[in-house]
Amino acid sequence: MSARPSDLPAPLDVARIRADFPLLARTVNGKPLVYFDNANTSQKPQAVIDAVDDFYRRHNANVSRAVHTLGEEATSAYEGTRDKLARFINAPSRDEIVFTSGTTQAINLVAYSYLLPRIQPGDEIVVTTMEHHANIVPWQIVCERSGAKLKVAPITEQGELIVENFVELLTPRVRLAGVVHVSNVLGTVNPVAELARAARKRGIPLLVDGSQALPHMPVDVRALGCDFYALTGHKMFGPTGTGALWARKELLRDMPPFFGGGEMIREVRFEGTTFADPPHRFEAGTPNIAGFVGLGAAIDYMESIGRDRIAAAERDLLDYATAALKTVPGLRIFGEAKHKAAVISFLIEDAHAHDLATLLDHEGIAVRSGHHCAHPLMRFYGVPATVRASLSFYNTREEVDRFVEAIGRVRKLLG
Amino acid sequence: MKPMSAANLYQQLVLDHYRHPRNRGELAGWTHAADGVNPLCGDALRIELRCADGRIVGMRFSGQACAITTATASMLSELVQGRGADDVATLHAPFGRLLNGDLGEDLSLGPLNAMRELHRHPSRRKCAELPWATLRAALAGTARVSTETA
Repeated sequence: MSARPSDLPAPLDVARIRADFPLLARTVNGKPLVYFDNANTSQKPQAVIDAVDDFYRRHNANVSRAVHTLGEEATSAYEGTRDKLARFINAPSRDEIVFTSGTTQAINLVAYSYLLPRIQPGDEIVVTTMEHHANIVPWQIVCERSGAKLKVAPITEQGELIVENFVELLTPRVRLAGVVHVSNVLGTVNPVAELARAARKRGIPLLVDGSQALPHMPVDVRALGCDFYALTGHKMFGPTGTGALWARKELLRDMPPFFGGGEMIREVRFEGTTFADPPHRFEAGTPNIAGFVGLGAAIDYMESIGRDRIAAAERDLLDYATAALKTVPGLRIFGEAKHKAAVISFLIEDAHAHDLATLLDHEGIAVRSGHHCAHPLMRFYGVPATVRASLSFYNTREEVDRFVEAIGRVRKLLG
Repeated sequence: MKPMSAANLYQQLVLDHYRHPRNRGELAGWTHAADGVNPLCGDALRIELRCADGRIVGMRFSGQACAITTATASMLSELVQGRGADDVATLHAPFGRLLNGDLGEDLSLGPLNAMRELHRHPSRRKCAELPWATLRAALAGTARVSTETA
């Protein structure tokens, strides 16, 4: 065993961590489950399941309106998650955290409430080739309605953003730039701080899609220097239907509401309504209260493990899995960025991604096959689909071994 | 080699039609043709037919597709020889029931009964539907078809 420098975090006790996730104990098609679809959604620790369960059993009430005890408890738990999330991403203020159903809603909020009212025909929006559809389609809708143009910054064959090309696109016509923090297909970690500095110098707000970053690494929005950060809860061990938009206070302050209804008003008269301040201005209607209580538990859970240790464990798994996959004849990996999260997209010779995924499922191994909501990226690589194995800190080297052995068998079967 | 469990979908018959597809390629002098796509996975299939007196006397298919689509197209190309559009429609109905898991076996479908296992894989059903949709589009004189609009 090689010596570990003392500044590295202590390794994880993976067996103990796996015991925290009840689903990881199940079998699929008679085999112990190997769950390698974490970029799609993560599994949930017992602490999160318990928090949701406990909320419905003991505290269920609507938030921000009832003065009775349950209402106070529900509000305090729900708003408590806002405090936790603000700390988790080092936001300057809890009031800069707008709860949404996920990243998609967060980006659409920026599209409709921030960008659409101010964008003009001939203006431009900049994104990159490696964006998820959630960071492409809302901008296309804005362009369609406003007569603005979408500009796309290219990537290299290795799957790295060409930063100078991105910066070149930041002309005075650009009203917003969007970039994914960690690519859901390639695993590439983009140099967001560098991009944010370039955008800031030109007075262009930068939106970061953080869906795949939060589950894997420490995220500090102040250090990144971006203007909007969209995130989702269900990939970071929280319930589905939870997410948030972080935005600078001055940006939120000038944004009109996106949805109207209860919860987001100060005073309603038929002559006219005054709206609540952010973040509640953007949270019309009864939210996913139990979900956000669960998200609070997920944040606590991640902090109890330590995000540095999570990142280190996943780095180890990524290196191990990449080396093992490279021994498989005919296997091509898409995305070999220097800074990369534990996401491996691949294909084997002529075998179709769906055939590979179905046959791996027969072995109890869950991977995703398809376009991963990134058609333009698939087109860039000239393939209709890839298989994607996305690992989390609760995965093991033994699971990687089983995965690679199964790929060997599948390869022969389809060969 | 350890046998695959639950490998009924990828049984020998299916793998044989995948590895050695029958009637793959282009058909000189085709009278009917259609291009089909499955936008969910990007698979594309082209079917060319030669029809005489309202009957299929030749079918060839080409394109890039998964094992399920390829094997279905290959099996279909043999099954429909000498049949008319009405016959194809008549065969398609039990195939749909087969994919739903509502039908044990239908002798008229021949080797296509192997696709019955797809009722356990609802996300893969469109793979087997693509050749049928493309074939029926060709017979109907429709140049393009998608499994999402068929």
